Amino acid sequence: MTSYSKEVLGDLAAGKLPWPQTRRIMSAYKDDDRFFKMVAVYQDRVAWKDPILLPVSDHLFICQSGDGRITRCECGHSFGDYRKNWKLNAAINVRNTEEALREIYPNSDLPDPEWMEIREFICPECGTLHEVEAAAPGYPIVHDFEPDLEGFYREWLGKPL
Amino acid sequence: MLDKPASALRLRERLLDSERLMEETGCYDGITELTLRNQDPLKFETLHTKLRAYCVSAREMARRISASPGVREVGEMVVAIYTPEGDAIALSNGIMVHVHTMSRFIKWMIKNGYEENPKIREGDIFANNDAFIGTVQVPDVMDVVPIFHEGTLVGWAGAVCHELEAGGITPGGDVCLAQERFTEGLFVCAEKIGENDEIRRDYVIRCERNLRMPIYWVLDEKAKVASCIDMRESVKQLISEIGLDYWMKVSKEFIEEGRRAQLARTRQLTVPGIYRGHTLYGHVTAGKPGFQLLGDPDWLYNIPIEMEITTDGKITMDFEGTQPWGYHSMNCTPAGMDGGMFVTLTQHMNFEGLVNDGAWMATELKLPHGTWTNPDNEMVATATSWALLLPAYGVFQRLLSRSFVARGYVEEAFVGQVNSPMIEMGGESQYGTPFGMAHFECAAAGSGALAIKDGLDTAYVGWNPESDMGNIEVWEQSMPMVYIGRSIVPNSGGAGKYRGGCSFVSTWLINKTSHLRLHTSEHSSRVFDNAGMCGGYPAPTCQKHRAVRNSNIHELAARGEPLAHAPGIDPHVSDYERNIGGDHVVVEGPYITSPHKSGDIFSHSYNGGGGYGDVLERDPIKTAWDVENGFLTREAADQVFGIVLEDDEDGYPVADIDATVERRAAMRKERLAKAIPVSDWIAKERGRVEKADFAPEVKKMYASAIKLSSRFTRDFSDFWNVDAKSIFMPGAKP
Repeated sequence: MTSYSKEVLGDLAAGKLPWPQTRRIMSAYKDDDRFFKMVAVYQDRVAWKDPILLPVSDHLFICQSGDGRITRCECGHSFGDYRKNWKLNAAINVRNTEEALREIYPNSDLPDPEWMEIREFICPECGTLHEVEAAAPGYPIVHDFEPDLEGFYREWLGKPL
Repeated sequence: MLDKPASALRLRERLLDSERLMEETGCYDGITELTLRNQDPLKFETLHTKLRAYCVSAREMARRISASPGVREVGEMVVAIYTPEGDAIALSNGIMVHVHTMSRFIKWMIKNGYEENPKIREGDIFANNDAFIGTVQVPDVMDVVPIFHEGTLVGWAGAVCHELEAGGITPGGDVCLAQERFTEGLFVCAEKIGENDEIRRDYVIRCERNLRMPIYWVLDEKAKVASCIDMRESVKQLISEIGLDYWMKVSKEFIEEGRRAQLARTRQLTVPGIYRGHTLYGHVTAGKPGFQLLGDPDWLYNIPIEMEITTDGKITMDFEGTQPWGYHSMNCTPAGMDGGMFVTLTQHMNFEGLVNDGAWMATELKLPHGTWTNPDNEMVATATSWALLLPAYGVFQRLLSRSFVARGYVEEAFVGQVNSPMIEMGGESQYGTPFGMAHFECAAAGSGALAIKDGLDTAYVGWNPESDMGNIEVWEQSMPMVYIGRSIVPNSGGAGKYRGGCSFVSTWLINKTSHLRLHTSEHSSRVFDNAGMCGGYPAPTCQKHRAVRNSNIHELAARGEPLAHAPGIDPHVSDYERNIGGDHVVVEGPYITSPHKSGDIFSHSYNGGGGYGDVLERDPIKTAWDVENGFLTREAADQVFGIVLEDDEDGYPVADIDATVERRAAMRKERLAKAIPVSDWIAKERGRVEKADFAPEVKKMYASAIKLSSRFTRDFSDFWNVDAKSIFMPGAKP
């Protein structure tokens, strides 16, 4: 079975592996021990001790904490129960004017801000930009991901939570 | 295991029997055990490899017969081998979107009694380009031939080429002005077009008299038929080696193996759960010539998708809440939606093992009746179905990528395909003849970013996995225009820790023609339709079209003065305006206007992909390289990425790491200072929602979604704590 060291996977996630090596990993059979090894890589990266149960995004994780299973920023900030939309507990910056859009698109034609806006979802503690939504004005904030955490661990990983 | 020899049942009965067995056992054709694979796995794998080799070889041969630069240059072709019931066993590389649409075509003929009339005989050739029978759009013309062994039909060989001209109301194939079926061009509705391995002369005459440039279509027909015959003869030879009974069993086991492999792949690569995403498509048509009375001026299309992955590995994509079909060319049929699913799966999940219709059987599409995904009216136009298909399946790729990230396979996360606008043309060619042509350099846009690296520059579209823009010189042979520029569009990839791939822009001088009609489609300049993920920004919207009529370029060239070869980086004043005299025109959205003539200049750009990750984490050194090479502007590096660049002694940009760290810390503080709690924003925004204080197109978009979808209505109402129906459909029945 294909398997990689934690160090290699850490470098892969950080984009530090040389391209030929990355490409070999992409082309090879997948390493079935990846999930727990990658969780261990992330666990080393965060300052907090609560065990990570699932990566959600680049710097967002579902972890087991004293408050139950929560979505947590790498900096430690809690966005609450993982079954709820973490975005509702984030800070937001909405770009819905030509001036605000121009800050991100200085040299391009712009969309019509009457038709579309950009919503930036930010960690209120560390300022990490976790997600960007491009939406029509009035569009409800999207709940991107509701993992079946119990089913995943029990049936696919064979390791109950 | 249902151990069936080659059946004497008629085809229709065999097809219905196969579907019933699938329903009853959950396995393809009732195959609950892979007996032949278990008996001799090496023989099993070797046979499938042979079938795949037949397909690849047949496609390559066909490309050398075709005269079309679409097929020869950018490979807009695919071939496949099918069971007698029309399920794909093996396929070539190429535009794999059509593998399952051909399957629908074969099944349609069987279910519609083709065995009785017009009869299915050895040597017959059937063709189709009707999307309600099985294809994506009119230019995707498919040919299939039956494979007989000693009088028994034992399979089909099929081939598809994307034609560059379809004889519609506008030249080309993606007929942007088609607003009903009757304007899309030459339809071939599951017709027998040949017998005894020969294409009928009357069919060729029909093509010659209904197309602006029949040479492409007719030679492509010959290429497709040659590839089908080649595959047919190879399969017949194989059957003579392995025996008919073995063939009939193994060909179906291949498909069941493909189905099981897809389920296993999903369990290996993803995380079960519900995934959601959406995108929008904006079409600007108001005031443009040629739109008929039923065509609405300006459309905003909302495409929400909910993807469910269950613990058994099944993937379901649900389009509830999407928009109704309309009197425009962007509708799609279920066949086209299947095609989008198939081509995405083959690239993002099934990149090893047996790839065939089994993968499709492990998924489900929920396509609400009456929407653009499943029109309840077969008279609608589907000529530019890709305009909505591309952004829709871009969402699918992002949803899949989120699952790859969650599972730890970060190297597979790919923000993915983009909506790649197309240019088509017709009129008088440089040879003085009538012509029409779609330009397929759109087969090489910028891709979305990956979770570990930047996206691909000018090198990827989802619908053609072997993306290739083709050589300038070859395109110039086919159109009365010469390139005066083809260059990277700086900042055209979405910003992020890893940026989206950049697109390119072409600038042409119209040459040696009295009139040339230029049209573009799949062009969405009012909204972002290529989003980013994990903090990455969407790619910029499509750039506007810039044209110069009655230019003085020949005088400038004669005097040796500077020309402009691209629009440049000032969105307010293009380099054409700075350097070239004439009547300057800027058009938003699709380009539909009066003809051009020699001496005019025209520019058309393609899309880049969305970014991945927080932009303030981007590598400064890589950014300096990007600026040096024209992928990013200095302005963007500084203002968007917070990277401070200095010049080295040769004038090349070099990142000042310390100053960058300082600047980014300040930008992060500024970001936090500007942001407000989401709860505050919702409370503030609710007032605007209650008043429906939106542009008319936005209001109409919500009203149509609410009319079609109780789920969208409920979600909208619950989120804002309002009664969505009373806001957007006042007077509607509660």
